[in-house]
Amino acid sequence: MRVATNAAGLVAQVLTGEVWPPLADRHGFRVGPDGQPFALPGMGGMTLGAACGDPATGYASDHLEPGASVRHRDPGANMAVQFLTCVGNEVTMASGPAAGQRGHVIGQHAYVLVDFPEPGAQQITTGDQVTIQAVGQGLRLTDHDTIGVKNCSPGLIEQMPGGTRPDGRLEVHVAARIPAEAIGAGVGMISEYANTDLMGAYAGLGEDLSLGLEGLRIGDIVALADQDHRFGRGYRAGYLTIGVISTGQCMMFGHGPGPSSLLSGPAEAFALVDDPDANLATWYHDTTGAQ
Amino acid sequence: MTDQPVSLAPVAVNLLGQVEHPVFGDSPYRIDADGAPYVPVGDGGLVLGVRLGDSVFDTSGDHVAPGACLVHPDAAAQHALLLYACIGNRAEVRTGASAGAVGAVLGKRGETGRVIAGFDADELAAMRPGDQVSVRAIGQGARPDWLPADVTLMNLDPALLPKLPVTAGTASTAGVEVSVAAVVQAKKAGNGLGRPAPAWCLDLQLTAADGIGLRFGDLVAISDIDARYNMGYRRGWMTIGVLGHGASPLPGHGPGMTVIATGPARSLRPRDDGAGHTGLTASMLMLP
Repeated sequence: MRVATNAAGLVAQVLTGEVWPPLADRHGFRVGPDGQPFALPGMGGMTLGAACGDPATGYASDHLEPGASVRHRDPGANMAVQFLTCVGNEVTMASGPAAGQRGHVIGQHAYVLVDFPEPGAQQITTGDQVTIQAVGQGLRLTDHDTIGVKNCSPGLIEQMPGGTRPDGRLEVHVAARIPAEAIGAGVGMISEYANTDLMGAYAGLGEDLSLGLEGLRIGDIVALADQDHRFGRGYRAGYLTIGVISTGQCMMFGHGPGPSSLLSGPAEAFALVDDPDANLATWYHDTTGAQ
Repeated sequence: MTDQPVSLAPVAVNLLGQVEHPVFGDSPYRIDADGAPYVPVGDGGLVLGVRLGDSVFDTSGDHVAPGACLVHPDAAAQHALLLYACIGNRAEVRTGASAGAVGAVLGKRGETGRVIAGFDADELAAMRPGDQVSVRAIGQGARPDWLPADVTLMNLDPALLPKLPVTAGTASTAGVEVSVAAVVQAKKAGNGLGRPAPAWCLDLQLTAADGIGLRFGDLVAISDIDARYNMGYRRGWMTIGVLGHGASPLPGHGPGMTVIATGPARSLRPRDDGAGHTGLTASMLMLP
């Protein structure tokens, strides 16, 4: 993105975490939109077979978290990991057979979510340690005072197409536009933690549930209409939030594929360009397995 | 056509709650929707000075509830208190200076969970956090015989239902008609989406600037929201609730309604009576 930032003034912090297990309870089942019971994997652990550029929905899964789901064992340190880690930050495996392999953060979901290339990803399991180089909170676009930046590494901003236009607006390429009715669980939470679930993307379920979002892909850059995420996530007419789809398929009602918040401000401060290549896979996910 | 569900007899359970004490972290501040720090007042605990019928926008507080918030020190027991307590349930003070006072459940709140109970103002003022309150929980699973098969009721004491402005349809106007103070669009649904309606209220992302006069106890409808299980978007549905707590400076939050009815909009029909609406009142609950 051709845009002036304060990136030169940011510091990086080295954080640690571990691939955190999926969590369940003895009752097993949860319920879907029509009361249908389900017991499906997706959240926590090391999830294989869904990566940036792949469809977000269409899996037998709930709260699909692509790749490694990372937390820190200490509650206070965990909040540092969740708040300070940004999309695009580099993560290195620090233990286990995949030690030394590098991946990138694609978002937060009460876990930090890390995309690792195949085939190395298959060597990673629950309990493996990771090292995160966290940088990005505090980032500002110095020529766009009304736009807040969240959870966004300086490297991601550099690689995204677009930038400051002659008319002063910020050009952002997006793979999809999301109506305000789609905003589900996650509304009312802080913007630096977890993400916003999108309703209306229940592949294979009723037409009356659909908001036409079944084509979303993991890693898609999306524009959320009437959303102000500068100081927490809420509705504000005339505002716009740019996010990245970091989680996928949900069976749980009121939940769905979720964007982590990246940029937020008045809609008139943005110039959106519809671009199917606006996906993290274009800039980060290495499908060749090369290091 | 959905088969008519069987109407089973509800059972009552006496549950114990205790009046909550407000809690803060190390910082007194939260951040409002415009980025300004503020000190949240009235967010839980025992709140004086607001009553059923007062505006939900007129207090300088955050999620203010008209009465005492009840919790339980054991997390699982607190979830049960939250899940089973219903609007209109009898709440009797068991300890402290107001022991013997009888009030009623007005609503509930999600997250860690609180039941909101209303009492006479003098008896409320004599209570203190930690006082024990016995809640006679009855209502979950109850459905009157006349209720259309595709309408679900919840969070409502069966004895209160006949007193609320809820009218069974006739042969020519099928379904249920409910007087409401406003019909809100789905895009204004806030915190509570994706959460279970028997254990969580739905915040409406409204402020005084929206110009909709809303009061504690008002019945409010929200369109295209299905609240039978978790709350979420479903085109053509309607959900109705009772406003149990007030507005909030936080983004994504606002006056909160405890859901009492949900169903297809053709069967659950709100009648927008605006300022002429009368919802849940103190006299219905026999509160002085």
